[in-house]
Amino acid sequence: MKRLTSSVTDGHGFDAVLVGVPFTFLFLLSGLPLLYNVLMSFQEVDMFSLGSFIRPFVGFENYADLFRQPETVPILINTVIFVLGSIAGQFVIGFGLALFFWTNFPGASWLRGLFLVSWVMPGLVVGAIWNWILSGDFGVLNFMLREMGLISGNIFWRSDPSFSLWAVVLANIWLGTSFNMILLSVGLSAIPGDLYEAAEMDGANAWHRFWTITLPMMRSTIGAIIALGLIFTLQQFDLFAAITDGGPNNASNVAQYWAWDLSFRQYDFGRGATISVIMTGFVMLAAMVYVRSTRHEVRG
Amino acid sequence: MTNQIELSGVNKYYGAYHALKNIDLAIPKGSFVALVGPSGCGKSTLLRSLAGLETISSGDLLIAGERMNGVPPRRRDLAMVFQSYALYPHMTVEENLTYSLKIKGVKKAERKKAADDVAAVTGLKDLLSRYPRELSGGQRQRVAMSRAIIRNPKAFLFDEPLSNLDAALRVHMRKEIRTLHDRLGATSVYVTHDQVEAMTMADHVVVMRQGIVEQHGAPLDLYDRPINRFVAGFIGSPAMNFIDAQSSADGRFLLLDLQSPQVLPAPASLPPDQRVVVGIRPEHLRPAAGGEEGLEFDVAAVESTGSASYVTAATSPEIVVVLNERSAIRRGERVRFAVDTRQIHLFDATTGQRLDVP
Repeated sequence: MKRLTSSVTDGHGFDAVLVGVPFTFLFLLSGLPLLYNVLMSFQEVDMFSLGSFIRPFVGFENYADLFRQPETVPILINTVIFVLGSIAGQFVIGFGLALFFWTNFPGASWLRGLFLVSWVMPGLVVGAIWNWILSGDFGVLNFMLREMGLISGNIFWRSDPSFSLWAVVLANIWLGTSFNMILLSVGLSAIPGDLYEAAEMDGANAWHRFWTITLPMMRSTIGAIIALGLIFTLQQFDLFAAITDGGPNNASNVAQYWAWDLSFRQYDFGRGATISVIMTGFVMLAAMVYVRSTRHEVRG
Repeated sequence: MTNQIELSGVNKYYGAYHALKNIDLAIPKGSFVALVGPSGCGKSTLLRSLAGLETISSGDLLIAGERMNGVPPRRRDLAMVFQSYALYPHMTVEENLTYSLKIKGVKKAERKKAADDVAAVTGLKDLLSRYPRELSGGQRQRVAMSRAIIRNPKAFLFDEPLSNLDAALRVHMRKEIRTLHDRLGATSVYVTHDQVEAMTMADHVVVMRQGIVEQHGAPLDLYDRPINRFVAGFIGSPAMNFIDAQSSADGRFLLLDLQSPQVLPAPASLPPDQRVVVGIRPEHLRPAAGGEEGLEFDVAAVESTGSASYVTAATSPEIVVVLNERSAIRRGERVRFAVDTRQIHLFDATTGQRLDVP
């Protein structure tokens, strides 16, 4: 007994406790629901069997059913478009802003801090504001495009099937850009300044310096930000709820919103769980990329 | 000999701060010039202005006869070795060396050959495929040097390149850099805060303080005839002893202001009762032979390095004597030290300028 106490206070036992506490926490709050979700995807679940743990086992029936539904493939394609469009927009604009603030003009750090406001806004609020901006009749976006001569008639962003997905992408880019900008700014400021001076002495112009110093030195940061971007975009839910509700006719529906819709509106928990399991696979892939890219950091 | 680098009336301001004050300097082709001074004296600013990493506020900068004031660093054709080495961490040694050639558009095969040639000279042959993080400090230093050499530039600029190395390696690299300089017939400008480095490596030493060139010339000229008290104290190690003094009524003796009155013969006839500062290098004091005149004081400490003894006197200001021998002098003894009159430096008590003795 005494050995056990001393091991816990001053030995391997202490290490085990340190690891054990967060591990237990994670297992109870994340691991169990995840496993329960996987289990549900192989069961027939309806409102009446929701309370019981033992339910009819159906094998891959839920998965097969899901892919027999005509809307499944379009929704998955929407998800891919939403993820790629959002990440590309957030990353390119975020990197541009990070480079811009990196020039360190007077007030740069102050202004950069102000940009974070968009990131701390709740998704539902952002959605509500973008609803006004995107509004077909009196929206300011249509007004701007019209005044610039880019469009002749109003675009009904939220109700036109060919625009509704892009309306959410637009709002999501606005929401996530500043997070990208901050992480990329941190990456940029970690590059030693004398590398640029050495490169300048070696004859490199600004363009050379960007491609041969900045980008390679940012490799791990860029890998991390894209992996995180993938995870955050696959989580994005509030904007769909606030702007399009997945409509019209699933034109802007994506997997994460559909999973919620199936489970909690149509009470088809089995199928909702099935979609979640498929998405979990993708997120785990992204997480692996993230872990790998942070491990490959270049240090001088 | 033509001047490879020429500065005339160069000033540099950071806002209201005047960092370089009216610098005139000519660096002949093939020479090794050291810029030396305490930190904040402007030596690095001057070097960075040559490189183009800082822009000069006024004056003219000529490199190989061309005015270079507003020309960006990449068009000045100068190579710089940084204190931190500034190696590209994501490139191998070979890629580091050939980066400038790649920018210039030199073909891959030629780049490889150039890297091999330089690596053979600097002893990096076996390290070409390594990354900087896999190298020791000395090896990184060599890579930084090689990266400069491969370009065959108009001049080499060194910014305290040895300060991150340990003492033994520093002494070794000192010689190696100088040998390379001679072999390449290069023009080098070398910034250091270490006057030993400056004295041993350079043909020409420029001593700076607070943005001003205090004195420049051959190392031994600076040692023998420092133009003012600052240069006298900066060049030479351990530093020169300074003692306040007054000339005697007939101007033939110096009455030293130590705790007990001491007298030395004046190196030249001085006006009577003039206040001066007497400078004597520690290595110029020697135990007095019987009856010889000199300074007499109690010994506060004796430190021996084996080859030399450092004797510290219990005076105020403290006087240090270096004897290049093992000394029998013990702490607490009263000893008389003599000095050759020719090795006494005199400085004006108020301005600190050298008082030239005819």
